Formats: sequence, C-alpha cells, structure tokens
Amino acid sequence: MSTPLLQGELVRLVVDTPEILAESHARWALDSEYWRLMDWSRAYTFSKRMMQTWFETVNEKNTGFFFSIYTLAENRLIGDIGLDGVNWSCGDSYVGIAIGERDLWGKGYGTDAMRVLLRFAFQELNLRRVTLNVFGYNPRAIQSYLKVGFQPEGCQRQFLLRDGQRYDVFYMGILRSEWAERYLNNTD
Amino acid sequence: MNPSLLRGPFVCLAAVEPEEIANAFFRWKHDMDYYLPLDSDPPTLFSLHQHKSWEGKWLERGPSNDNFFFGIRTIAEDKLIGFIAIMSIAWQHGDCYIAIGIGEAEYRSKGYGSEAMNLMLGFCFNELNLRRVSLTVYDFNERAQRSYHKNGFVLEGRIRDAVKRDGQRWSWLCMGVLRQEWLALQAAAANPGEQP
Repeated sequence: MSTPLLQGELVRLVVDTPEILAESHARWALDSEYWRLMDWSRAYTFSKRMMQTWFETVNEKNTGFFFSIYTLAENRLIGDIGLDGVNWSCGDSYVGIAIGERDLWGKGYGTDAMRVLLRFAFQELNLRRVTLNVFGYNPRAIQSYLKVGFQPEGCQRQFLLRDGQRYDVFYMGILRSEWAERYLNNTD
Repeated sequence: MNPSLLRGPFVCLAAVEPEEIANAFFRWKHDMDYYLPLDSDPPTLFSLHQHKSWEGKWLERGPSNDNFFFGIRTIAEDKLIGFIAIMSIAWQHGDCYIAIGIGEAEYRSKGYGSEAMNLMLGFCFNELNLRRVSLTVYDFNERAQRSYHKNGFVLEGRIRDAVKRDGQRWSWLCMGVLRQEWLALQAAAANPGEQP
C-alpha cells in the first residue's frame, strides 16, 4: 500500500479537466499518424468545443476509467490511457493508450503508463483480465505490450485498409495471474 | 503509411471552432465572388447571431458518417482561409460530393485551394477508401475548373441551362475523379521523369 497507485517510474495518471483535455486532444488529432496508430476509425480532426463535450461525460459510467498521462519530470501532459468497456460480470476490460506528443514516442512513457494502469485494473478494480487490440503497422506498440506482459491472443486478418493496403488487427491480453507472477511474485 | 494525411506544405485541413467558422462564414458571404459560384440558391445574408447558432449546433454534434467538414488553414500563419467538405456519401457505391470555398480573397488563385483539394482527395481515397469523388461547378467558373483538372477531375456531364442569374442561363458541369486516376497523378508527381 506504500506506492502511490497511479504513479510509475516516468509518469503518473491523472483525471484531468475537460478544458485541458479538449485543448491537447484537438491539437493531437491534427496529427493523422497519431490517429491512425490509435484508432481504426477514420482519422479526423475535432474542435476544442467538440472534444470538451465528449470529455465532460467520459468518466460518468462505471464501465470506463479514463486518465491523462503526465510526465513526472516536467509534469507535462503527453497522452492518455484508459479502460473502456469494463465487463464486470466477466472481469474483463479493454485498454486503450496513445501518446500525443510525438517527441516522446519510443521512450518508454507508454510502457510505464501501461504498467501503472494494469496495477489499477488488477489491484484496485480487481479485474480478471485486460484486453487490447493493436494494428499490424504499429510494431512499436506491439513491442511495448509484449514488454509489459501481454500475450498475443488472436488476429483479425486484413481488417484495416489504409493507403490502399490491408493490415491485420491483433488481439492481445493479460490475465491477472500472469500479471501477478511478473509484478508481485505471487499468483494469488 | 503517409504520416501527414491532412497536412501539406502550405495548408492543412483542421477542425474549426464554432465561433471562428461562424464569424468567417458571416464575413465571406458578403463577398459575392465567393458566394455566387458556391451555390445556386438566391444569395441570402444572415446575421452573425444566426450563423453562430447554426454553426454552433452543427459543429458541436461532432462527426457523422454522412459528411466531413474541414477548415482550410495556412501553415505559415495558421489563418483560416476557407473550407472543404464532402457530403452525400454513398458508402455502398463508394462515391461522395465535394465542395470547396476559399473565403479570403487574397488567397485565391495561388494554389491554396488546389493543395487543400489534393489533401481532401487523399483523405477520401486513402482514409475513407472511397472509389470516386464527384462535384459540380458552374461553366463560368473557369478558375475552379482549372484547379479541379489539376487534381485529376475530368468532365463527366453538363446540366444545361441549370441556373438563371441576371437574366442569363448558366450550366453546371459535372466532374469526377476515380481513385486509380488520382493515385496515378500522385505517382507521376513523385516521379516527374516518368510520363504517366
């Protein structure tokens, strides 16, 4: 109980105000590569007003837990991570993550944030497993998820069509027991 | 993958704040060089208040799958100079209609609109995976036709005498571009030595 639950080695997770989220997300969405790495829906841009309306209701249901990622060093908002679609009866949830600030891609911030979020999912929400999907053209993310402990579980072949090319969508998951073995040295 | 789908050397396509686009539309529509070629309805001017109320409501709803609307902003000054939008998307056929307007007069005929159109076609063909893009343009609007030609649009039909203005009849030209045609243009632009 001694470590702050929502703090890692590089980042901490914060529930931010819609105004701040609207500003950063409207800016990040201008970057189509960010969008295509994050979401399989079409890349698009959003006004601050639109974003704010969305963020005002994001944590209202108890099936979603949305956090901003702040660096510990500079207290800089760099991305977001969240559980979405928590299925309480089965103890499963999807996780989504995106680092909006390009200069911090590939530096371990996302990996650290994911470790913090899994601790929240398994130690606070007491979920049984966490699921994600990732796109075939995003090897950096796949590497990060493997490092954290996610296992490849399946694949939707040629699901995505981008720039005229088809790409697979991979499913990955981590069970509480696998997580505990890796991070707690007990299997509960 | 193309890392900057919505960003070119001189303009980018970006969401607009309701307040900003309402102010812009209100101002631009007083310029008949902008308004008349854009529409066949009688030019009607509305108050800023009306614009704010419409544009606010419509932009707050967020994206729909029926239409996509972007502001055109200059890279150099981050200035809103026009809009571009697609509508009437027929997903089962892979077709849509496109509309563009450069509201700031001093930014016309300088290639900003053509660049924005090229970005939007990339969005249509490489992100929405549409098969073709359609538009209509007045026969008197030769500047626009030249710009559309540059981006691969070809003349597909003519709605003769569609509009009567100032006692004179004008036609609409129907133009369209297919995905394959646009891709061939991009390849030719990337390798200027080879003939398309």
